[in-house]
Amino acid sequence: MNQGQQSNQGNRHHDDDAALSEFLASLMDYTPTIPDELVEHYLAKSGFQCPDVRLVRLVAVATQKFIAEVATDALQHCKARQAAVVKDKRDKQQKDKRLILAMEDLSKALRETLLPNYGYARELLEEI
Amino acid sequence: MSDGGKVGESKREKRACADEFGRAVSKIAVGQICKNVGFEGFNESALEAFADIAVRYLRDLGKTSNFYANLAGRTESNVFDIIQGLEDLGGSMGLPGTSAVGDCVTGSGIVKEIVEYVESAEETPFAQPLPHFPVVRHRRMTPSFMQMGETPVFKSIPAWLPAFPDKHTYVHSPVWNERVENPLADKIELARQRRKAESSLLSLQQRLVRSGATEASTSADIAAGGNGLVVAQSKNPFLAAPVQAGEKDVSPPVLPTKLSDGAIVENHVSLVEAFAPAIDAVKDGFYDSGTNAGKSLPDKRPTVQLNFKSGRKSIGESLDLSIRNRNSGKTTSWFGRDDERDDKKRRAELILRHSMDNPTELTQL
Repeated sequence: MNQGQQSNQGNRHHDDDAALSEFLASLMDYTPTIPDELVEHYLAKSGFQCPDVRLVRLVAVATQKFIAEVATDALQHCKARQAAVVKDKRDKQQKDKRLILAMEDLSKALRETLLPNYGYARELLEEI
Repeated sequence: MSDGGKVGESKREKRACADEFGRAVSKIAVGQICKNVGFEGFNESALEAFADIAVRYLRDLGKTSNFYANLAGRTESNVFDIIQGLEDLGGSMGLPGTSAVGDCVTGSGIVKEIVEYVESAEETPFAQPLPHFPVVRHRRMTPSFMQMGETPVFKSIPAWLPAFPDKHTYVHSPVWNERVENPLADKIELARQRRKAESSLLSLQQRLVRSGATEASTSADIAAGGNGLVVAQSKNPFLAAPVQAGEKDVSPPVLPTKLSDGAIVENHVSLVEAFAPAIDAVKDGFYDSGTNAGKSLPDKRPTVQLNFKSGRKSIGESLDLSIRNRNSGKTTSWFGRDDERDDKKRRAELILRHSMDNPTELTQL
């Protein structure tokens, strides 16, 4: 059984490896919004040393994904805030339609991303 | 809060952090990402904070993956280090991303998420082309002792250290005139220059005589010649402006051709400068056409007043006066040298006597 598991795992490894290398190759076609030079600069500052461009792209894409997640969360908060403020049914059209990134939305979104159980922990504390 | 923000912003403007360029670029990149997500506007402070977070994330990711590489005994990170770093940072949202302890990294959820993201998100490259930064400025280093080819004075100084500055940069040395004085040579030179002046005067004299103008009035220009050749109203033929050497056909040995133009090979600069205003005046006053190499003077020439006195003494006196009347500093060396003045006087008398005796003939000295 162990051997079966291991062989299964071996197969999975193989597939995953293939997928990974495929993905890395496909990364070269995708140009991340965060430029390569910027990523290289900050990676060099922290000691990351790699001549492979694909890894730099991977880091760039990972960062972009992170930022995009936080931004999406902040956008949701912003929209929720705007929906909450309904002063006048007449003015609904003339409300501030522009979605502006504000500090409070950003901080909320970040807190939820980095500390997923923050709210839960707080509740626990309050219980105590 | 807005006031606090303003104060903070003004402080920020004054302080320029070393990483300003990187931060500015990351601000733009983050702004672009947010725009893609759906935001239409940004608060300045929020955007700066967001950019700061992005920079921190980058650095943390680099640090963590480097740490994992070092842990494995490598200096260069590879993809697995990055993936582990990503997992460490907890970048994945929600439970499906978490990986069990025993699982292979390649099967981790974070990779899958990234793959999904890449496929789903629209590709928006960075707005502007970026140079490779930070730009390394190559400073020109002070050359070492070895490079200068010097040996340091003190034994304790190794040769590969930068060389000391040159002595002349910090030691003040006295300055004096390097030229060696040679009074004999100066005297000879002076006499030669004087002879040339006399010959030019002679040639002018002959020319005037030839043209038959015995009475003439000087032009104001000539009188105003700054070189001191002051032509008094009733005075000396020698005080007239010299003739341009090119125009008059005189026997070669006498004529100093070099006086005609400025190109003087020997050191007759003072003479040229002395005659230059007169020459210009002569040009202005005398000529209506271009180069006139003819023997006859043009008609428009203002007349020169020449008073030929028979007595030698008077000539001598007038000559003395002429010498005294000279304003030019260049001829001041002729003053105060009595013996030379007598010599000149004698020669001048000789010339005048010759020209008077033979008014229509060309005479040679």
